[in-house]
Amino acid sequence: MTRVLLVEDDTWLAEVEMSIISDAGYEVLIAPHAPAAIELVDSFEPEVIVLDVLLAGSTAFALLNELQSYSDTGLIPVVLCTNIADQFDAKKLKEYGVMRVVDKTTMYPEDLIAAIAGVL
Amino acid sequence: MNSGEGIFEVTPLVAAAHELKAPLALMRQLALRLGDETISTAERQRLLQQTVLTSERALRLTSDLTKAARLDSALFQLEPINPDQLCRDVVGELQPLFKAYGRSVAVKGRRHPLLLVANRDLLRRILLGFSDNALYYSQPGTAVHLQIQAFKKSGVVRVGVRDFGPALSSDMWRTLQNKLNSAPQAIHARPESSGLGLFIASQFADAMNGRIGAVRHKDGATFYVELQASRQLSFL
Repeated sequence: MTRVLLVEDDTWLAEVEMSIISDAGYEVLIAPHAPAAIELVDSFEPEVIVLDVLLAGSTAFALLNELQSYSDTGLIPVVLCTNIADQFDAKKLKEYGVMRVVDKTTMYPEDLIAAIAGVL
Repeated sequence: MNSGEGIFEVTPLVAAAHELKAPLALMRQLALRLGDETISTAERQRLLQQTVLTSERALRLTSDLTKAARLDSALFQLEPINPDQLCRDVVGELQPLFKAYGRSVAVKGRRHPLLLVANRDLLRRILLGFSDNALYYSQPGTAVHLQIQAFKKSGVVRVGVRDFGPALSSDMWRTLQNKLNSAPQAIHARPESSGLGLFIASQFADAMNGRIGAVRHKDGATFYVELQASRQLSFL
C-alpha cells in the first residue's frame, strides 16, 4: 500500500483529508506540524507528502528546505494543499519537490486523489 | 522560491479575508464529506457538529470585526464586573467546542476576585478570542485555563488565558510582541495567523482603557487583558 504523509495542523480538516486518502486505498499518517513531519519521514518513509502551507510553528517552506537537504528525502514528491494556492507559481516550486498545488478552498475529494496519483 | 512573501499589503480587510478562508474551506470539506452516503450515522452526527461549531467560530470573527469597525462611533458602558462570573460564562459558551476538539477549558483562581471596570460584551469577546487561540495552540488532552490575578498596588486586574502547548520560539515570540500592539501583519509573519485577533483584542482593550499582553511559558503561553480594578469598595 502506498504511504502518504499528510501534514495538516487543522485537526478536523486533517481527519477529512485522511478519510479521503485512505478511502482511495492509501496508507495515511497525519503530522500536525513540521517537526512531527520530519520524524515521520524517517519512521514512516512516505512515498508522497501532502503538505499544508500555513502550519502552526514553522511553515511548509522550512520543512521543504529540510527535505531538500538530503538526497533521499529530497526525492519524495510533495503535493501542496493550501488555502493560498493563488499565491504560488507551481513551476517555481518544482525544485523544492512540490509537484502539484491543490487549492483547499475549491478542491473536491477526487482532486486530492488525482494529485497524489499524479505524482507517483 | 516564491514563498508568498511580500506579495500584497495586508490591510484589516485582507487579513479578515485570510482568517475567514480557513473555516470556510473546512466547512466546505465537511459538507462534501457529509454528501458521502457510505458514512455511518455517528460519523454524520460528528461532521454536522463540527460544521456547526466551525461556522460559529467564523461568525464570532465576523461579529468582532463589525464591532471593532464601530468602536469609534459607539458608546460603551463601562461597569463593575465580576471577572470570575464572566470567565465562567465564557467557559460555558466554549465547552462544546473544546470538547469536540478533545480539550477542556476551566476557570482557575479565586472565586471572589476584585471587580474590574469593563464593558461586559467587549471583555467577553476578548476572552473568547484568546480562548479560541489557545484551543488552536494547546495539545490534545490538555486544559486551557482562564485565570484572574489582582495587582492591588497598581489597581489593575489581569484576566488571562493560559494554554499548554509547545513553547514559542524566540523568533515567534518577537513577532508576537510586535503584533500585540500593531495592525494585522503580512500573513507570512506568523504562518497560520495574520494577527487580526490580537489586533481586535487590543482595540477592544483600548476602548476600556486597558491593555493586552502575553507571557511565554516553557509549556505554552498566557494571553491576558489588564483592566482597572473597580473602586466601588473603597467608597464604602
